Parts: sequence; C-alpha cells; structure tokens
Amino acid sequence: MNDVFAALANPVRRALLLQLREGPRPVKELARGFELGRPAISEHLAVLRKARLVREEPRGRERYYHLDPRPLAEVQAWMAAFTHYWNERLDALDALLAKEEKR
Amino acid sequence: MKEPAVIRVERVFAHPPARVWQALTDPALHAQWWAAGDVRPVVGHRFELDMGRWGMQPCEVVAVEQERLLSYTFAGMSTITWRLEPEGAGTRFTLIQDGFDLDSPIARQAYEGMGRGWPAVIAGIDRVLAAA
Repeated sequence: MNDVFAALANPVRRALLLQLREGPRPVKELARGFELGRPAISEHLAVLRKARLVREEPRGRERYYHLDPRPLAEVQAWMAAFTHYWNERLDALDALLAKEEKR
Repeated sequence: MKEPAVIRVERVFAHPPARVWQALTDPALHAQWWAAGDVRPVVGHRFELDMGRWGMQPCEVVAVEQERLLSYTFAGMSTITWRLEPEGAGTRFTLIQDGFDLDSPIARQAYEGMGRGWPAVIAGIDRVLAAA
C-alpha cells in the first residue's frame, strides 16, 4: 500500500497514469509530454511498476505500458473506511456537545 | 487523481469553537466521543490514546493554535489535524488525516478488521474503475 501512495505522491507519475488511461503506450510516446529525459521517465515507470499500477508488455523492440487500476481501488477502499469511521466519531462528538449544552 | 492519501471530513456544529475545542483537548470529554488519553494542547506533548482492541497508541502534538487548530501524529500511522473556524454562532470543523504509513501495525490490523465495510469498498472500486 505504501508503494502505491509513494507512487501517487509524484506529479510526473500521476501524469503518466493519466496518459495511460487512454490506452497502452510505449515509453517513447509517454516521454513526449515531459521535459524530462527518457531515463527519468523510465525510472518513474519502474516505481509505478513496483506499485503494480502499471505493467509492461514487449511488442517487437518496444515496451508498452498498461494502466492497472486495481491498487487504486485498494487506496479508495482505505479512504472510504477511514471516512466512514470519522463520520461516526463526529456524530458522537456532535451528540456530546448537545448533551453538554443542556447541563 | 489529486492527493489520494488525504482524508478530509468537514462538519458544521451548532456550538462555538470554545466548546468544540474543549471536547478536543479535555481528556474527560475526548474519551466520550473518541478515545481515552491524556491529550493536551501543548506542542511536543506525548500521550497515548486507548484504541480498544487496537491497543494504546502513541501520539505527539505537533501544532497548536488556541481554539483554531490541533495537530498530532497518531499511532505511527498518520497525522491528524483538527481545524476550527467560527461560523455564525457555531463552528466549521475540519478533520484532515494525512501522512499515512499503511505498513504500520495498527494500519494493517485496521485494514484486516475492515471486513464489515466490504459492500462500501466494492462500490468504491466501481467509482475508481469508472474514473481510471
């Protein structure tokens, strides 16, 4: 999970993921929209791969990258669970404030 | 896909900031709506919150602005920040939880204990896939 958060924490990597929403892309094409060199882009892709947010597929002499949104669903699950938890706690706080008011 | 690891929950309470602040910083009140522990609005103050089946969890106060903001690290898992703003006769109350380390023991346990939340989780997956 921390791999996923760390991967998402970087704006270049988020931009790469957004590009991959359109479909599989080779590194060459992914690098086009950035002022970074290919090696830097490849490093970012390696971080995304480690977090399982992308997978690579060799096609001839090129490697295509695919988006895998499943780890994002896991992050979303976390956020939903915590938000639910806090809403319950804040309900309790609201009830307590109302009770204290009546004293 | 902006800052996915930040949780933000906002409420408006019909009570002035001073009252809400008291509920955040008075251990006796704090125990009634969340967890027992020696919370104090003093930067650097360390305390433990009794998280029931998740055990006593260490916290350290990192920021205090009287009746406006209280922030502490929580359980080695994240930072919790409570922000209070006057709104009419009441208080706009915001919780921000960020800086997650989900490999910490309490985070792992919480995740494993999340079984009952699965229907919501599955609905969440649909949203993620739709957005991805």
